[in-house]
Amino acid sequence: MATYLEFIQQNEERDGVRFSWNVWPSSRLEATRMVVPLACLLTPLKERPDLPPVQYEPVLCSRPTCKAVLNPLCQVDYRAKLWACNFCFQRNQFPPAYGGISEVNQPAELMPQFSTIEYVIQRGAQSPLIFLYVVDTCLEEDDLQALKESLQMSLSLLPPDALVGLITFGRMVQVHELSCEGISKSYVFRGTKDLTAKQIQDMLGLTKPAMPMQQARPAQPQEHPFASSRFLQPVHKIDMNLTDLLGELQRDPWPVTQGKRPLRSTGVALSIAVGLLEGTFPNTGARIMLFTGGPPTQGPGMVVGDELKIPIRSWHDIEKDNARFMKKATKHYEMLANRTAANGHCIDIYACALDQTGLLEMKCCANLTGGYMVMGDSFNTSLFKQTFQRIFTKDFNGDFRMAFGATLDVKELGVGGTSQWKICGLDPTSTLGIYFEVVNQHNTPIPQGGRGAIQFVTHYQHSSTQRRIRVTTIARNWADVQSQLRHIEAAFDQEAAAVLMARLGVFRAESEEGPDVLRWLDRQLIRLCQKFGQYNKEDPTSFRLSDSFSLYPQFMFHLRRSPFLQVFNNSPDESSYYRHHFARQDLTQSLIMIQPILYSYSFHGPPEPVLLDSSSILADRILLMDTFFQIVIYLGETIAQWRKAGYQDMPEYENFKHLLQAPLDDAQEILQARFPMPRYINTEHGGSQARFLLSKVNPSQTHNNLYAWGQETGAPILTDDVSLQVFMDHLKKLAVSSAC
Amino acid sequence: MAELYVKPGNKERGWNDPPQFSYGLQTQAGGPRRSLLTKRVAAPQDGSPRVPASETSPGPPPMGPPPPSSKAPRSPPVGSGPASGVEPTSFPVESEAVMEDVLRPLEQALEDCRGHTRQVCDDISRRLALLQEQWAGGKLSIPVKKRMALLVQELSSHRWDAADDIHRSLMVDHVTEVSQWMVGVKRLIAEKRSLFSEEAANEEKSAATAEKNHTIPGFQQAS
Repeated sequence: MATYLEFIQQNEERDGVRFSWNVWPSSRLEATRMVVPLACLLTPLKERPDLPPVQYEPVLCSRPTCKAVLNPLCQVDYRAKLWACNFCFQRNQFPPAYGGISEVNQPAELMPQFSTIEYVIQRGAQSPLIFLYVVDTCLEEDDLQALKESLQMSLSLLPPDALVGLITFGRMVQVHELSCEGISKSYVFRGTKDLTAKQIQDMLGLTKPAMPMQQARPAQPQEHPFASSRFLQPVHKIDMNLTDLLGELQRDPWPVTQGKRPLRSTGVALSIAVGLLEGTFPNTGARIMLFTGGPPTQGPGMVVGDELKIPIRSWHDIEKDNARFMKKATKHYEMLANRTAANGHCIDIYACALDQTGLLEMKCCANLTGGYMVMGDSFNTSLFKQTFQRIFTKDFNGDFRMAFGATLDVKELGVGGTSQWKICGLDPTSTLGIYFEVVNQHNTPIPQGGRGAIQFVTHYQHSSTQRRIRVTTIARNWADVQSQLRHIEAAFDQEAAAVLMARLGVFRAESEEGPDVLRWLDRQLIRLCQKFGQYNKEDPTSFRLSDSFSLYPQFMFHLRRSPFLQVFNNSPDESSYYRHHFARQDLTQSLIMIQPILYSYSFHGPPEPVLLDSSSILADRILLMDTFFQIVIYLGETIAQWRKAGYQDMPEYENFKHLLQAPLDDAQEILQARFPMPRYINTEHGGSQARFLLSKVNPSQTHNNLYAWGQETGAPILTDDVSLQVFMDHLKKLAVSSAC
Repeated sequence: MAELYVKPGNKERGWNDPPQFSYGLQTQAGGPRRSLLTKRVAAPQDGSPRVPASETSPGPPPMGPPPPSSKAPRSPPVGSGPASGVEPTSFPVESEAVMEDVLRPLEQALEDCRGHTRQVCDDISRRLALLQEQWAGGKLSIPVKKRMALLVQELSSHRWDAADDIHRSLMVDHVTEVSQWMVGVKRLIAEKRSLFSEEAANEEKSAATAEKNHTIPGFQQAS
């Protein structure tokens, strides 16, 4: 349905919204029968270079339980200067500033093309951005040196009036006092004992005792928005001294004996960072950036002991309930994450080590606060260095892309009140999955006007320190499922539905057993096919899905095999890392993660997308695969031989040189822009790294069925995994069966 | 102006470490990119895998060469792929930047800023000395020296943003070489910029009062 695809795309470009269903079921019963819930992916701060923010505050509905923002769906009486709220039907007077409006002189927020609009809030102090570096010193020498250099470099990328602070930790935790005099001072804390926020603030001297001479004033933490504390100073003042301080950082001095891990007090270090910011700058944009090179091994939040012979927990250990420290550590970090989010701050984790670092236990710190999670092998790698640089990338206006302290209000037609969430950290690609419940009773007539409306209001602090509000108001038609099934089918967005169902699946996987999640996913797929497929009962060969559903089973097939649901072959930290990024990316990137993109390069024509299937692996083709986390370039057998023979260096075979170059150029485009930076694998037929490609493609030819195909096209995969064909066959059988 | 190059990643420390792009290449990217490779192919509904139209024959791999180029050789595409090494900058090769040409203007700029706090000026001065020491000792690479010469030119021409951008590109691309002293140069740019805008503001003020006092326009009051 070309028109619906256009409609979906236009809406996504304008509003940053993709709904699973673009025509809504009118009753709760019908909604559940549609299997895929009514839900949407929302990118609140979608980059809109064509949408300049307006420099005034939004007009709100005057009903205290409503407070919806004036939007293009509202009825307006220009003569009487009244507007009717489309959510609660309250009639409101326009404020005096709108005295001059008319049909030909509409304010922007009433125009349909401004269904998404951004307001700049002028009032209130503009507090600076804050960056608090929490640095692990139990690193190898060259790792620490690389990290120090990256931090020094970041001082050149931060805005001059941003505040910056430094906490280092190893066995002890040191809070560095930043001053412009030559002497460097720091406050040292034991890494074994957790402290309350108040204790931390007291020990750092952040609470002022009541002065007997003045009027009785209760002791309160320094809260003046413009005052910087001794531990957080503006970059323009402190950069030279902080550069020196960073340059002088040494490895943790406590010796580590053979067979032991370094004592790392990550839990206390983070606790102090959270407490420091809580006491000095609550409710202003701040990032706590944790840089760690190994697991926490002492104090609250420890994830493994210091004996190397006892390995850090694996999935097997967790399944067997053999992960000693996991529950307690997770609880510690969850407590910190909740406090941080309540303060409007966020926590980033940059974990670079060859072994696990405790991302499983610490993931809530990034997930609940909208912070970043970056996982690498060493700080001395391009992956870390460039990913870290990209945090400070500027947008088309020269501002940072990061945003702080965000809250999201969701207002729906007919339901009293508004739902509110605290999101904290956001960037232009952050995407939320929002799931709705249709509450209309069955057989209730379709609401007046035939359309439902939802308004998303995101309050946040822009990186320029302005406070802004982004408002998106959308509407869709209600429909009666019985009589308008074809209409509803055509309005199905299979890509959005796949991502939304996948997010539900991953959410379940956090608390349910793996096989149960797969069974649930399969059951939903079968039910969807039963409802929306065209078939004759008991005849699997008759089964057909319309265009708007045709890709959906494939997405589910690949989702079942993805690292989000298959934890086998990944560590708990790796699974946490993959799931973290899956839960926050926009639709296009999320789909790449579910079903990687595969493009084929050959002499036969321009690069073309090909089936993610073993039959696409051919001797005379070069393949480029993008899984989001990896970019793989794979040379077919013949291509590899030609390259080895050096044909690309001969002038009469220049086209071969170009063929080799083409996927490299396309890979470069992706590598240059993506956050986090993917791994880059350049391999060929027979290469050990080819396994990255072979494990992702649908194994339509395995050692089990190779001779059954009759033709030896493509490369057989050595696996016992079921192929897409077998999966589809089973699916069709089950969908058409009366027994299900 | 900026260097545009791609270096391989650190394969020793990170498996499949991606290539490293220079600051120039990364900032050139800018803005949201349209993902070029996002299309998919639907699996055929009847279940058999799609067999591509042309393929090499089965059996032992062919020993023959690839199809020869039918067109005249074109000039190579702009911008090298990740496998290539360091590319030179886009200028014609000139003689190496002279140390004095770089350091003298920086020290001059520092002198101009002596009005500011002593601590800051001492710090900057210390770093300039370090820069001189490293330069004279041959510890700085040619791209760093070249870009420093450019930076100083921009600074002398009062193009603060350009100078700042060059300092950033040096910090990103050559942090190991420059981190010890570059922050001094950064501060110097900031100090000169604020000094300049102060002077400009003062001149405007004095010009305004001069008009008020009916003095000869353009006649500068002693500062």
